[in-house]
Amino acid sequence: MEEKPFRASLGSGGSDTSRPDNDIRNLWTRATLSQSKLNVPLPNVCEDSDLEDGSAHSKTRRWYNEKARRDSDGGWDHGEYKDSFKQEELEDHSLLELQLRQESSLGSHLEEGDIDSKTEIEMSSSESSLNILKHTPHRAYWAEQQNRLPLPLMELMENEALEILTKALRSYRSAIGRDHFLTKQLQRSIEGLKRRRSKRLNLLAY
Amino acid sequence: MKLKQGSFLWYLYLDKLYCLLSVRNVKVLVEYFHLLDVHHNNTLNDVLFYHFLHHVTNWKRRQIMIVFNMLDWNAMGEIGFDQFYMLVCILLAQQNHLEEQFIFRHSRPVFELLDLEGELRIGAENFHMYNFLFNIKKQELKELYHDFDVTGDRRLNYKEFKLFTIFTMDKYQERQKAEKENEKKRKKEKKALLKKKTQHQVNVSSKQSSFTNRSESRM
Repeated sequence: MEEKPFRASLGSGGSDTSRPDNDIRNLWTRATLSQSKLNVPLPNVCEDSDLEDGSAHSKTRRWYNEKARRDSDGGWDHGEYKDSFKQEELEDHSLLELQLRQESSLGSHLEEGDIDSKTEIEMSSSESSLNILKHTPHRAYWAEQQNRLPLPLMELMENEALEILTKALRSYRSAIGRDHFLTKQLQRSIEGLKRRRSKRLNLLAY
Repeated sequence: MKLKQGSFLWYLYLDKLYCLLSVRNVKVLVEYFHLLDVHHNNTLNDVLFYHFLHHVTNWKRRQIMIVFNMLDWNAMGEIGFDQFYMLVCILLAQQNHLEEQFIFRHSRPVFELLDLEGELRIGAENFHMYNFLFNIKKQELKELYHDFDVTGDRRLNYKEFKLFTIFTMDKYQERQKAEKENEKKRKKEKKALLKKKTQHQVNVSSKQSSFTNRSESRM
């Protein structure tokens, strides 16, 4: 649904309702615990730290920067939600700075012709590239930022819809009975919403 | 009418000039509509519509069903997204006190909504029935029919209605100007008062200090 361009009018039969299989929330539920916190976008950080040319890890960073810029250009305007990520960005920024300082101090040893420091630099560059890859934002997070609505907003909408539909279910039951297919359809929708809510709550509990 | 605080609609807002939702807000509204559209018809029936409005507003059942009958202009017993969007704009206009602006900007759709019988004319009863929607007071209604019923048939056609919307918009803008000027005046007066106070305090403290100096010198 989110890949199609937005249509203001839904006059024609729209099958634009969310599909459970393509739902972003499935990505979240399948995410590993170790990756739950690695959802920090680092385009700004990587721009600042892209100081040295010619080294392998700076090439990796440049590739990452381009990818991040491409990703951030389209889709949902998440400007309002950037503030919540700024703090995490700063922390990672300081982490990367430390690594760079270590690398630059090792680089000065290289100029003096030390072979051991050469191998140390290689190790540190591979470590830093690993660190950068470790900090690569979670795929589910980026997919959400591109096409989906922010999760807090979805939560608010779903909770409210659940309340409204639960009250409507009582009216359906009293007016047309429990066994009517419309009542059953409404009941299924309510159960679907409740399942999504409990999944979300379980994730938060972790 | 007041929207329930913390409800989903409470977080939406209209563009103040055109009294419409932004594309982003519409996208969110589409998702919300789909959540309520449990039968997957891209519509809301009267029961779902009633419970939705009952949850987000403080309207009574009678008022909600009046709105439903007004929006169900095809008499299908269901409300599609276009009508739902219109309703949300009306609710937000009322919530943010933009009724005059909304009626001015969207005079044609509002006229067609009020023209229940499709006669291209609106009687006073129609207005009276929907005054909770657009916040038109009784006195204003009387003036409306007195001043703008040019044809004299005690009903307003579209041109007369449009004149009315232009007039109310002018009044609204004058009111806003007057409010702004009053606000400025109040601020100036406050500043002047503060200045006076501080000056008075300075004078008092300087007098006190000179008095204590004199008494010390005498001692």
